[in-house]
This record gives sequence, structure tokens and C-alpha cells, in this order.
Amino acid sequence: MSLLTIRNLSVRYPGAATQAVRDASFTLEAGGSLGIVGESGSGKSSIAGAILNFLGADTRIDGQILFEGTDLVPMPARQRRPILGRRIGSVFQDPFTALNPALRIGAQIAEPMIRHLRMPKPEAAARAVALLHDMGMQRPAEVAQAFPHQLSGGMKQRALIAAALACDPPLLILDEPTTALDVTVEAQILQLLARLREQKRIALLFISHNLGIVRKLCDNVAVMYASQLVELGDARRVLDRPLHPYSKGLLASRPPLEAASRGSRLPSIPGQMPQYPAPEQGCVFLARCAFADPASGCATPQSLATAEDGHAVRCWQANRLGPWPRLREMLSHGPTFTAGDALLNITDLRKSYAGGRSWQLGWKRGPVLRRRAAQVPAVNGISLSVSPGEVLGLVGESGCGKSTTGRLALRLTEPSGGSVEFDGADLALMAPATLQAFRRQAQIVFQNVGSSLNPRLSVGEALERPLALFDLVPAEQRRARVEELLEMVRLPRDYRTRYPHQLSGGERQRVAIARALATEPRFVVCDEPVSALDVSVQAAIVNLLADLRDRFGLAYLFISHDLAVVAQLSDRIAVMYRGTICETGPAAEVLRPPWHPYTRMLLDAVAEEIDPAVEPPAPQAAHGSGGCVFAARCPHHLGAICDREAPPLKPMGGGLSIACHLDLPPVAPVRNSTSPDAVTVR
Amino acid sequence: MAIYVLRRLGAVLATLVVMSLLVFLSTHALPSNTAALILGQYSTPETRAALEHKLGLDLPLTVQYWRWASALLQGDLGASLVMERPVAPMLWDAFGRSALLAGCTMAVVSTVGVGMGIVAAVWRGRWPDHGISMFAYAGISVPEFYWGLVLILVFGSTFHLFPTSGAATLADGFGTMVAHLVLPVVTLTLTLLAHVSRLTRSSMLEVLDSMYVRVARARGFPERVVILRHALRNALLPAITILAQDFGFLIGGIVAVEAIFAYPGLGRLLIFSLERQDLPLMQAAILVLTAVYCLANLGADLLYGVANPRIRYAGAVE
Ligand code: SF4
Ligand code: SF4
Repeated sequence: MSLLTIRNLSVRYPGAATQAVRDASFTLEAGGSLGIVGESGSGKSSIAGAILNFLGADTRIDGQILFEGTDLVPMPARQRRPILGRRIGSVFQDPFTALNPALRIGAQIAEPMIRHLRMPKPEAAARAVALLHDMGMQRPAEVAQAFPHQLSGGMKQRALIAAALACDPPLLILDEPTTALDVTVEAQILQLLARLREQKRIALLFISHNLGIVRKLCDNVAVMYASQLVELGDARRVLDRPLHPYSKGLLASRPPLEAASRGSRLPSIPGQMPQYPAPEQGCVFLARCAFADPASGCATPQSLATAEDGHAVRCWQANRLGPWPRLREMLSHGPTFTAGDALLNITDLRKSYAGGRSWQLGWKRGPVLRRRAAQVPAVNGISLSVSPGEVLGLVGESGCGKSTTGRLALRLTEPSGGSVEFDGADLALMAPATLQAFRRQAQIVFQNVGSSLNPRLSVGEALERPLALFDLVPAEQRRARVEELLEMVRLPRDYRTRYPHQLSGGERQRVAIARALATEPRFVVCDEPVSALDVSVQAAIVNLLADLRDRFGLAYLFISHDLAVVAQLSDRIAVMYRGTICETGPAAEVLRPPWHPYTRMLLDAVAEEIDPAVEPPAPQAAHGSGGCVFAARCPHHLGAICDREAPPLKPMGGGLSIACHLDLPPVAPVRNSTSPDAVTVR
Repeated sequence: MAIYVLRRLGAVLATLVVMSLLVFLSTHALPSNTAALILGQYSTPETRAALEHKLGLDLPLTVQYWRWASALLQGDLGASLVMERPVAPMLWDAFGRSALLAGCTMAVVSTVGVGMGIVAAVWRGRWPDHGISMFAYAGISVPEFYWGLVLILVFGSTFHLFPTSGAATLADGFGTMVAHLVLPVVTLTLTLLAHVSRLTRSSMLEVLDSMYVRVARARGFPERVVILRHALRNALLPAITILAQDFGFLIGGIVAVEAIFAYPGLGRLLIFSLERQDLPLMQAAILVLTAVYCLANLGADLLYGVANPRIRYAGAVE
């Protein structure tokens, strides 16, 4: 008997026209692991919701969910509760809201044991501390006494995993457990899960949009597209040699962690996933499939059939298709940038924000009590430059100050120190008229397109605004210019009349890019422009940004937490940690040794394999001010010098600079040629 | 936290000083003549002038304020002009009775109001929710004197269940004391329930929708535990603030209700002093009410700080 068997599961939300999950079947053996991958809206989380019974009473669930031989679907909630508490653990995406802010961590972990196992309170509390220790927490007793707001995101997620495992369940359901976390923290959590799986023989049902993670952690994988499972089988085999065209496209559109030449583009899947796939109208992937052949079998609904490889595929052509077509390399690409006179020059830039307030007794003609706001540096003395037509990638984890740097570069916020020069003129000293001219030439594209487009303006109106504001195009020609802009970002002309809510995420980002281009800028800050998008849409936007760069000779400051996306587009990369630059140089050099210990950690975090035996390095004592910013987490910490002295950026040769006291080997000479494209490895 | 409390206490003091100034000035702006009041209608200009001199009423306002305020600080609230007795003992008696009324009302409002809010949220959109919101709106949409009169008519005059006027002390027996409180408390409660119950309902709905409540359900805890242990604690925080705000309404309501039920409390004393233009009594009563309001707000803020772990435990655990 399998641990979990899902048979013909269908989920339909109240009022929805179509099913969120359609006829899904799979099994999970005891101690096994199954990853369900798909884009947002594919229905993958609804499967977890159906098992955990939180879809609401009005949601229609058909089929069977056999857990340890009993069907959960017809079971009343009261009977299901003990199963949920004792036999199935669950961990959700957002650790920041999943812990109860009013209860201590220890109490939240002990509660399932007290309620379901009838364990006495002191015993449960002791076991909660032991569980926290198992999760790799440094001071478990202290953490057990803490409230959620006192913990970092990674620690919260560990505490949630501890609570999920409190009753030793044979099955753990994880719904995007690391998506809200930084990559290095994600790597630690994955390592923890791999270790727990090995030690406790827990079966994992792992739901994620991230193929790389699923490949690392799961034996089997199910790929979901538009409410249906489209491919199901051994994880390595499916992800290394996918058979379904959607799996092929999805894997191909993931940028490799390599510097790309200026001419290269990512393969991408055109269009987007239908939100309400109409049933019985042929293959669900038909509209986007590169191999579609409606004249033959594609026009009929596909069924999940076993292919040659042993995995089940929902495509009648599965056995005879080649790889997802790559785009031809762009042969003639735009002028490469000329190093020399920088377009944007940032020198010793600083920005502090008022942090937590504290009371202080001061002395000013008698004792006075005053509220002193601690100054927290977000950007702490960084220098960068961007040449005309050049793309500088800025990578770092959340809170490292990269977005603040982007806003400072455009003077959207005032620096606390240092200077930003554009075309040789200091932004801080610009007269209003010059500043207006600067605003025309320097634009920004944000991550959160949902909130950066005014919902009450049609696309055409949104695009006309900058034209009118800067008085660029006479009123009667504006419509033509808007259509031209839409064409530039590859949207149909009639999108002029649409409103943001009628657009998909990718389309909205295209409109935002078009709006930035409306003023014919020379420099664009792209602040996480693709982070909110699904992989298949992401690739198309990255390609678009590359095309625009080449066509108009645009310079970008490309900000992202995703090293692979940055590498795809950037000529040079700067790695940022806690407000300082720790490594900077040509993209290819940054990605190959020598590395700054932090860069190394970022690269390791996204590496293909994890070794459950390896313990992540224990964080050092919290760093004081003045030392290396990375000292607290550095695995190569050299002792006193790292805590005392901030390392300066040292040139390593080949244009690479690294800020570290370690005695790193110089950059190895590049084989064969000297042309800038030759360093890329494609 | 201790420093925070000190600072807030300082702010309360500052408010009181400002209020005392305002009270002093506004009562002096009243179109009345203290000496004439005391001497009655047969006074002559000469006798009035002599009395004014004796009372210090011919001194500059600043000096008068100084005298009044420093006496106040020594606990001397002056003497009532009309009753010709020291204000302080009269005031404290009345204050005690009003505090009892206010305390009972707050206790009923917070338990019943919060309870109604929870029930409405848990049965959202079904009949208990609709019933509660209709009841709450009926209470708030009519002023307290109307409810007072209705209750007097129904429970006092028709059924003779409860006394409709006056107050009783423990000496009269516990039952009698409570019986005298019932109608005034119910009247006040009716007008305050809506606010608390609506707010508890909406904050409860928000919390019930939160991720951690979903997590608690996914861990298979019974619904009772999910609501009372996981949701309610968090939903109550905003209710504390709202109850403090309601305290202001309550003070206003008490003045009206004491008048209707002839309840010998601070509100009734205030109205009496206003009618009779009894300046020292009026000043003292207004000041006491202000102080109570400020302290109640302070109390609510401190309670919020104690109940909210984010404020109590600020430091991070590494
Ligand atoms: S059935 Fe046709 S359209 Fe569907 S995935 Fe296969 S090849 Fe593509
Ligand atoms: S300076 Fe020291 S702490 Fe900082 S990265 Fe280098 S080795 Fe690590």
C-alpha cells in the first residue's frame, strides 16, 4: 500500500468556470519524494489544499485522496483533524505570516504534541527545544522562548518545519517553502530537508515553481500545466531529458549560470498559460507549443500515456520530438559599449535610514530625555560606473541595499553622502531644468508592475503621459508614437485601449518597459524586472531587454537577486552585501574563480547538487562595526583582522576586484582571444 | 518601557495643566458674577465690591489662577458656592459612584461586545452575524436618553423590576446596590456595543483569514482552539485601543444617564454646578473628568504594550 495515492482528483472553486485541478493521479510511497512543478495558476497548490482540507466547504473536490489506505475526500472535518495533525505535516510559502505573532516559538511547536499525542506540557516543551536543535538552530532554548518577530525568515521557516515534524508524521507537504527566502538561506533549508528525509524517512510532497530545487530534493516529479499533469516520472530523467514540449520549454528558458555573449538570447515559450483552460479543445499546450501540428493529433485532448522512457507524458508526439528550438544567435547586434567616459559615475555613495528608535538621556543645559533614531546604513560607501551602452548587473540578497542604490542613481531619494554624476554633471547640483533633462534620459522599471501602473489609465494613456510631460511629441502624433512603442515591446497595437487588469504579468511588464522607453532614455535602472514573473515569461522579457539594449544602445543598471538572470544580460557584475560592494568585474570573471567568499556562497546555493551530510557553516558571532561586512557569515573568516578592518576592493587582474583579506590567487589568463565576446561560455 | 511610562505620565500632567488653564479661563468668561450669586438679589454694589475684595476676585486673572491652582495642588478644591460646603468630599463621593457605574459598563461592554464580535465573525454572513449587527446598529443609532426613557417605562413603570432612580450603597445590601445599577448600565452599554462589536468582528475576520490560522487548521486543531487560542489573542489588540476611545463616549454618556436616572454621580454634580453657576464645583468636576480620561487612555496604551509581544520583546534572537 502506498502512503499517498491520488486518484482522478479534480478541484473546482465556487463560481469558477473550469477546474483548478483536472483529473490528477499519482502515488507517493513511504519515504519517497515527489515534486510538483508548475507556474503560478497551474493548480499545483490546489492539490496541497485538497489534501490539507483548506479550500473551503464550497469547493468541489472529486476523486480520491487515499492516505494510508483511507480516502480523505468524503471524510468529515472532525475525523480528518487527527490525521492532519499527527500523520501529515505541512509547511507553507511565507514563513513571515505563518507563525502566530502572539505565541512563543516553543509553544507553537509543542502544541501539536500536547493536543494530538496528549504529551504533558513540560515534556512537549523539552521536545520542542530538541526539535529546534535538530533543525540546526544555534541556541534552541533561547529560540523556544522567543516570539516570531524576533527571528529571521530562515529561522522562522526552520521553526515551522520543526512544528510540522513535531508528531513524527510519515508525510510532509511543502508548498513553495523557500520561495520567500534568500538563495543562501534557501540552500540551508533544502539541505536541512534532505538531511531530515534521510534520517527520519519522511515522505515529501514538494510543491514548487523552481525546477532546480525539485531536481535537488525529489526522486520523482510531476509537471503541471493549466490544471493538468503533463509529465510524470523519475526526477532526474524528466528534468534531464524532458519529453513533453512544455517541460522542454520550461527547462530551456531557465537562464544558465554563465555569462552570455551579447548576441545570445534565451529560448522562450511564447504567450502565457491560459487562465481558464477550456476543456476538451485539444491539447492544453497547443497555443504555445513549438511542435504543434493541429492537422494531426494535437487538436484532440491528450491523455497521460507512458512514453518510451518510462515516464508518463500527455503528448501524442512525445516519443519523436527533438529539443525545444533555440533562437538563432543574433548575428548583428548593436554597438558594444565603449569603456572610457562613464555615463553614470557613483562615488562613495551613502544612504542611511532612521532605524529602530531608542530612548537616550542627553545633556543640553540640564538633562533631557530624547528619542534617538539609530541610523542604519543601507548603502555604505559604494562606487560604481556604467558606460554608455553598458549593462551593469547588481546582485545581492534582500536588504543588501541594491534597490536603494538604484533609486539613488536616479535621485529618486537623496543620498546621505557621496555623489552621483550623469554625463559628467553631479545630480545633487543640477538646476531644475537640467534635472528635467536628466529625468528624460534616465528611467526606471520596477519589479512590482501591478502597483507601478495606474489601474485607471489605459495602456495608451499611460504611455502618452511621459510624451506629454516632457513635451516630446506633438499631440496629434502621440497615438502613432504609442503604437510604435507597443511594437517595440512586441505587444499588439490594439493594446492601446486595454487597462492594466486586462493584462497578464508579462504584458504589464512590457507596458512598463515601453513607458520607460517613451522618453528615449540612454540609461534605465531595471529593479528586479523579472522576479515576479514565471520562468517561461521571464525569458521573453530578458530577451526583450537585451534586444532593446542592442537596438538603442541603452545602458542598464540591472538589479536582481538572481545571479543567473543577471549573468544573462550583464557586461559587468557587482555583488553587494550589507551596503557594500564585495566583488565587481566583467560578468565572466565574477562567475569564475577567484571568488569572494560571499559570491562563492551565492554560487554554491544554486549549484545542482546538495549533499545532505554537509552541515552549513555555523554563523560566527555578530560582527561589530568596522570589520568586514560578511564576517558574521564567512566560512573563511581569518580571525581578528576580519572583525577589525574592512577589506578594500583589491584588483585581481582581468578587471576583477574583490574586497577580502584572503590571499586569493590572481585571475587566470583567458584562453584564446581578447575580444569581449570570447570570454563567454555558451 | 519604564521611560516610556514616565514620558506618558508627563504628557498627562501637561494636558492637565493646560486643561486647568482652559477651565479656569472659560468659567471666568461666563456671564455671571460670583459675588452677586453669593449675596443674592438684594446685594448692593458696595457689598458686592467688599466681598469681591475679600474673595480676591478683584485681583488680576493670573494671580487668581495662581492662587486657585496652588490650592488645587494641595488638595483644596475650594468650597461650593451654592451648597456652602467644601467641594472635595462631595466630589469624591460622586466620583466613587460614577466610577462604579463606568467600571460596570466597561466590563459589560468589553465582554459582551467582544463576544458579539467573535460570534459575528465566526458565523459571518449567516443569521447570528446579521442579528448582531442589527442589534448593534439599533443601539448606536438612538441617543442614550431615549434608551433610558424606554427602559424606565418598560422595566421600571410597567414591570417594576428595577429601581429607576438614585443609587444605593453596600450598606443597603448587595442586591439593592446592583438593582440600582442595572438600568443605567444597560442604557450606557446599548450605545457603546456597536463600536466594540463591529471592530472586534472586522479584526477577527482579518485574523481568521491569516496564514497562521490556516496553519493552525492544517495542524488539525479543533475549531474552538483555532478561534480562541490562535485567532482571538491577535484580534483583541485593536479592541483594546477602541475600548479606550469608547471611554471618551462613556464619559459623555454618563453625564446624560446620571441625569435621566437621577444617579448621584459626577455627571449629575457637573450639571448641577452648571445650572447653578457654581464655579468652584464646576471647575473641579471638569478637571477630574479630564484627568480620568487621560489616565484611561494611558492605561489602554500600556495594556496594549504589555499585550503585544512586539513591543514587549523588541530584541532579535540571532
Ligand atoms: S500534443 Fe501537440 S500541441 Fe500538445 S504538447 Fe504535444 S506536440 Fe505540443
Ligand atoms: S575579509 Fe575575512 S570575513 Fe570578510 S570575506 Fe574575506 S575572509 Fe571572509
